[in-house]
Amino acid sequence: MKSQTIFLNKITEEEAEKASNSYLMSLIAVIAGLPLPIINLIATLIFYMGNRKGSYFVRWHCTQALVSQASFLVVNSYGFWWTVSLILGDSEMTNSYIAYMITAVLFNMVEFIATIYTAIETRKGRHVEWWFYGTLTNQLCKS
Amino acid sequence: MKKLIFQGLISLVLFFACWYLLSQVQWLKIFKVERLANKTEEKVGDMIWSAIKASDQVVYDKVVTGCVDSIFAHICQANNIDVDDIHIHVMMDEEVNAFALPDGHLIVNTGLIKASKDEAALAGVMAHELAHIQKGHVMKKLIKEMGLSTVLTMTSGGAGSEVLKEMLSHISSSAYDRTLEKEADIQACDYLIKAQVDPNAFADFLYNLGSEDAAAAYLNWISTHPDSRERGEYILEYSKGKFKDSKKIVSKSAWENMFHNLGHEVTD
Repeated sequence: MKSQTIFLNKITEEEAEKASNSYLMSLIAVIAGLPLPIINLIATLIFYMGNRKGSYFVRWHCTQALVSQASFLVVNSYGFWWTVSLILGDSEMTNSYIAYMITAVLFNMVEFIATIYTAIETRKGRHVEWWFYGTLTNQLCKS
Repeated sequence: MKKLIFQGLISLVLFFACWYLLSQVQWLKIFKVERLANKTEEKVGDMIWSAIKASDQVVYDKVVTGCVDSIFAHICQANNIDVDDIHIHVMMDEEVNAFALPDGHLIVNTGLIKASKDEAALAGVMAHELAHIQKGHVMKKLIKEMGLSTVLTMTSGGAGSEVLKEMLSHISSSAYDRTLEKEADIQACDYLIKAQVDPNAFADFLYNLGSEDAAAAYLNWISTHPDSRERGEYILEYSKGKFKDSKKIVSKSAWENMFHNLGHEVTD
């Protein structure tokens, strides 16, 4: 993760707030205490749709929040359905399952901390690019 | 673009490497998963069995239980299953039914014994329920139908008699899903073949239950075990050519005495 100043125009208070909110949206499921991994993505997607015509700074951060949520959806959904099949289906509890859940929790925690950090930084008008997601966002989001 | 692919690959490798390395740890032993699961099953099984025992429907007649025990022990011994792990009970109930409870309790209704034409048919149904126990289907079904939280609440003493009744009703009067039923049927076939008991008798029993004439008489068994005819057919198909010699388990007189004590005539 790295902080940069690539935006030539001064970031307004409103832009900083919107960019910061795009990250807070991805935490909505944690706040609501819902186990369904899709909720995060839906919340971020709705926020992205609402701001896709916003300034480059806002769009960029909405996109970074969205792409990171999309990949975490895959990780979390796999864990979610594995758990469901364990309770309702024929799957057995294995070391591999526990290892997967620990890995998923570890990666989610890293993402959670990064999300809070980025929400704080963007609120101050500072640009934060994540490893991989930042590069991907640069490809997707053109000024 | 190269940077993106490189970073994406590194992230993927990191994730899978983390998963792989953590998989090498014996988490099941660390968390004592098996012991915990066994303890829960033991508690649930004991609670349900205590409720059944209190209903005064248990048959203690040595002639009846002796005959059922002999047939069951024969199947277990032939398949290297420890008989002490399974607790078989006969219940005075006219419903044609047998069902497995958690922690290896197997209930056989007198209605089922009376409906069995011979020892092989009764052995077939018992082998089917034994397969459910051995394959761990019982707890899975309970958790699926009642929810994990209810089952866990019950073991911590937080459930009342109503929950116990509901649990018993789920276990005794509703089917396992199709896949589990088929799995238990096929396993039962293997048990019977090893025990030199004709699986065709079990297939016939199921097939006859599927007939319209039997529908009214054996309503309970049919509702809990659907598609009896189809099951009879695939058991016949599976056991074709595998079964050679049959072995008599209980003597004719023991079989007749059991029917006599149940107040029923042996059907030919």
